[in-house]
Amino acid sequence: MAGQPPDPEEYRPPGYQLVTWVVLGLAVVVVVGLVTVRTDHQPNSSRDYASRPQMPDATPVLLPPPEMSDDYLPCSDCHEDEPPNPTKRELEDEHEDMEFKHGTLWCLDCHDLNGRDKLHLANDALIDFEDSWQLCTQCHGKKLADWRAGVHGKRTGHWRGTKEYRTCVNCHNPHSPPFQPLVPKPPPLRPADITLNGNVRHEVAHE
Amino acid sequence: MSDPNKRDEREVRGASRREFLKVAATGAAAAMGAPGAAQAFDFESFLQKNFRQMSDEEIDEVVDRLSRKYSKKYGKEVTVNAVGPLDDVVYGYGLDISRCIGCRRCVYACVDENNQSRDPQIHWIRVLEFEREAAIRGIDLEDGNPYYDHETVPAEDKFYMPVSCMHCEDSPCTNVCPTGATWSEPDGIVVIDYDWCIGCRYCMAACPYGARKFNWGEPNVPAEEINPDMHLLGNRPRSRGVVEKCSFCIQRVRKGRYPACLEACPVGARKFGNLLDPDSEIRYLLKHKRTFVLKSELGTNPKFFYFYG
Repeated sequence: MAGQPPDPEEYRPPGYQLVTWVVLGLAVVVVVGLVTVRTDHQPNSSRDYASRPQMPDATPVLLPPPEMSDDYLPCSDCHEDEPPNPTKRELEDEHEDMEFKHGTLWCLDCHDLNGRDKLHLANDALIDFEDSWQLCTQCHGKKLADWRAGVHGKRTGHWRGTKEYRTCVNCHNPHSPPFQPLVPKPPPLRPADITLNGNVRHEVAHE
Repeated sequence: MSDPNKRDEREVRGASRREFLKVAATGAAAAMGAPGAAQAFDFESFLQKNFRQMSDEEIDEVVDRLSRKYSKKYGKEVTVNAVGPLDDVVYGYGLDISRCIGCRRCVYACVDENNQSRDPQIHWIRVLEFEREAAIRGIDLEDGNPYYDHETVPAEDKFYMPVSCMHCEDSPCTNVCPTGATWSEPDGIVVIDYDWCIGCRYCMAACPYGARKFNWGEPNVPAEEINPDMHLLGNRPRSRGVVEKCSFCIQRVRKGRYPACLEACPVGARKFGNLLDPDSEIRYLLKHKRTFVLKSELGTNPKFFYFYG
C-alpha cells in the first residue's frame, strides 16, 4: 500500500490529533465550570424560613381496582356449565342489562373463551381481572405513556411524596368507557345577588 | 442590617415606639369609656409588620397569636403555620380543557379547603362555559358564561375553562400594590399579607384574569366547616375590606400535597408539579402536549397552563 496517495475518505489534515485533544480539553473545562456555577447558585429566597419539611421523593402507589358487582362473578359459576360459543353476536339471553359501547369489540376480544375467570392479551397470555390495565393499554398505548407520566388519569396524595395512581377501570367502565354525565354543583351568584349583608335568596324573596 | 449595633438600636426604638402607642391608645380607649374598651383593640396586630419584614421569631409570634385567636373564635384546635418555600421548587399548574366537564367540583372543594366566605359568597375558581363553535374563531374570555345551570354536564356543543389565579411570573397585581401587601414568593406563589391589605383594589383592576376577590361584607364561614389547617399567607380567615385569591393551596403544596381542586376533579383534568423538576407531571405535559396560557400577549407569563390531553 505504501507509495499510493492517501484515501480521501481517511485523509486527516496535519495536527488533527492535537486539535481534537485541545477541543476535548476545552469542553471538559466548560462542563466542569458550568456544574460548579450551578452548585454555587442559590436560587432561593433572600430570607431564612424557619421550617422546611423534609419529604421523600415521589413514591407511586397503585390504588386497588374498584369492587366488581357480585351479580355475575365469578364468571365460571355460570359459564362452566354452558358450551362455549365463539361466534361474535349480540347477547340476547344474558347480560342484556349491561351497556356495551366499546368500538367494535365484543366479549371474547378481552375475555377468554376457556379460562372464564381470566382475560387474555393479544399474545393469548392470560391475566387476572386486577391487571386489566395491561390489556387496555395494548390498544391505548399513548394513554399508557401519559398515565405513567401522571398526565392521563387522576392523581391524589402528594406531588412530592406518595402519589396515588388509579388503573383504567377505576374511572372507566371497560364495557362502555366514556364518562357518564354529572350533575353540576350550583352556579355562582350574580354580583347583584351578593350584598354587604350576605347573599340574596330568591326562594325567600318570591314568597 | 450589616451593623449589629444599628439593628439593636432599631429594635430599641421600635420597642419604645410600641410602648408609646400602647400607652397612647390605652388613654384614648379610657377616654372613650366602656364601649371603646369592649371592642378589645388588639395592639399586637395593629403594630404587626409586613410579613416580608418580619424576623423568624416575629413570624412565630404572629402564628401563635393567630392560632390562639382562631381556636377561640371557632371553638376547635386551629393551627396557623408559615411554612416557607421549598428549595429548587417553582410550582406550575396544568388543566386539560379537552377533559373538563364543567361540574364545578373544584370550585366547592376550593371553598371548603380555603375557608372562603359562604355568605356573602366568594369563589376563587370560576368555570367558564363556551360554545364549541366559537373556539374555531378563537376564544374570547368575554364570551365565557360562569352562570350556566344545566341538569347534567357536559352540555352539548359546549366546552369549559376554569379560571383562577395564574400566579404570573410578571404579575401586574403585585406591581400596583401601594402597601407591598402582595408579592411573588420564591416558589412562584403570589401571596397576600391580609394584615397589610388596605382594600384599595388596585390589584383587582390590574389583574387581567379577574382572579382577585374582594370582601365587601364581613366574611362568614360556619365554625363546623372551618378548615383548621391554615397558612398565614393562604387560607386563614380574612376580614372585611381585604382582597383574596387562589394561593395554589399554599398550606398543602408546601407540605408536598396536591391542591384541593386537583384531588376533587372527577375526570383527572388538573395537574400540578414542580416546573424545575424535569421528571414532573407539569414538565411532561409542557413537553408533550399542546399548551397555551391565557392572554399571553400581555406578557404576564402565567404559571397556569391549559392543555389538550
